[in-house]
Amino acid sequence: MQDEIIRYENVGVSFGSKKVLSNFSLNIPKGKKILMKGKSGVGKSTLFKTLLGFEKISEGSLYYRGKLLNPQLSWQVRKEVAYVSQNTDLGEGPVKALLEEVHAYRPNRKKMDPEKLHMFMGELELEEDILEKNFENLSGGEKQRIGILIALLLGRDVFLLDEATSSLDSGLKKKVADNFLKHGDWTLVIISHDREWEREEVEIIEIGKTDPIEE
Amino acid sequence: MTSPDISIPSLMLCFFLLVIPLAISYRIKLHISWTTIDAVARMTVQLVLVGVFLTYVFDLNNGALNMAWVLGMVIIASYSTIRNIELKMEKLLLPVILSFIAANLSVLMYFNKFVLDLGNLLEARYLIPIGGMILGNSLKGNIVGMGVFYEDIRRNENRYIYNLSLGASMYEALMPYIRKCLRSALRPTLANIATTGIVFLPGMMTGQILEGASPMLAIKYQISIMIAIYVSTTMSTVFSILSTIHTTFDEYGLVKKEIYREKGKKKENKKRI
Repeated sequence: MQDEIIRYENVGVSFGSKKVLSNFSLNIPKGKKILMKGKSGVGKSTLFKTLLGFEKISEGSLYYRGKLLNPQLSWQVRKEVAYVSQNTDLGEGPVKALLEEVHAYRPNRKKMDPEKLHMFMGELELEEDILEKNFENLSGGEKQRIGILIALLLGRDVFLLDEATSSLDSGLKKKVADNFLKHGDWTLVIISHDREWEREEVEIIEIGKTDPIEE
Repeated sequence: MTSPDISIPSLMLCFFLLVIPLAISYRIKLHISWTTIDAVARMTVQLVLVGVFLTYVFDLNNGALNMAWVLGMVIIASYSTIRNIELKMEKLLLPVILSFIAANLSVLMYFNKFVLDLGNLLEARYLIPIGGMILGNSLKGNIVGMGVFYEDIRRNENRYIYNLSLGASMYEALMPYIRKCLRSALRPTLANIATTGIVFLPGMMTGQILEGASPMLAIKYQISIMIAIYVSTTMSTVFSILSTIHTTFDEYGLVKKEIYREKGKKKENKKRI
């Protein structure tokens, strides 16, 4: 299918002898918005990491734009998909330097648009002076918003958001959700416990509802 | 004027000085008596062997043999670098040996050719001691540099992985780690260079002055050797990092967990990003 972005087919992942995911199937076409829910430890984040090549699947197949995922393709995914990690330890030093470093990576060159930067910062309610502050001294919520800011600045249209809004206040959660959901052409895969993401246009998927089957 | 010989009884008198640290250790229960005796015994045996071998090597002064000696030192230096940084040998030894050869031998040859203007580049009495000084310092620099690099990449793997997810190539994502490790590796050498002559007279200079060389000649040697050491330490650390990356990272750009030797305590298993 032309419009298919990501497809999990009976995917299973194990860490050593522990099975964190089994028999997971999901087809994500372009423009689709999916909210993944489920208790922590059921392997939601792992689904993102397998696509990015940070965890290996132990069974089943994973396709990106119709092609079976392999090491080369996972490098391609990293250039085309914007990932907001649940972990907010993104770096150190002034925020501005952090943004510059990200834009110095080959696939991201020429994408740092000051106008866009200020627009996104406004939407995320980030003050101008945050750019001069050291990232490691920011609050959890600020760090999280910088992660979202970077993802937006990259100008990509497939997003993997892993608990991207967990530390924001409810007004801001809604605002962030609105901003992401208003783009009909964006493909969004969201892991979140926040109700603000539960909208009409968002398909909700429960992960790990049935216990993993022992073999 | 040359240095007076040290007779065996005189050497014994020098060993006798060790009574002082041993007495202190005994009196205040420092528990380093055995370690001291062990270290001194090791040093003595090693140096006696080296003395015997070097006597032959210097007498023969055969270019191939001299080079073999230096290569032997390279292998030992590479081996002890990896041993000291808690990494496993198999994936690292060959790239580190090749890096040491490329960095240190090229500086050594340049030094012998252009600085000392030697007719025979493989002349034992220059090749071996100067090679030893360059290698010894590269060894120290690499222990710090490689140690910092691999420890940092393990501790801050989340940041590294995040940068990969943004589309960074392996080199782009590793650059902050490479910068940090080089700074750590070179800082002691730079501090050493900056304080030479004020705080201490380096061993080589002391040796030459004892041998009756003029202080001016001794300082010219010292300046040249310090520069050679700085250059070779920089080169060997860069080469070691760049060449080991190829064997220690997988095709997804992730560091292979199996290169780490587990230390005494079990490392916590970080799985979250």
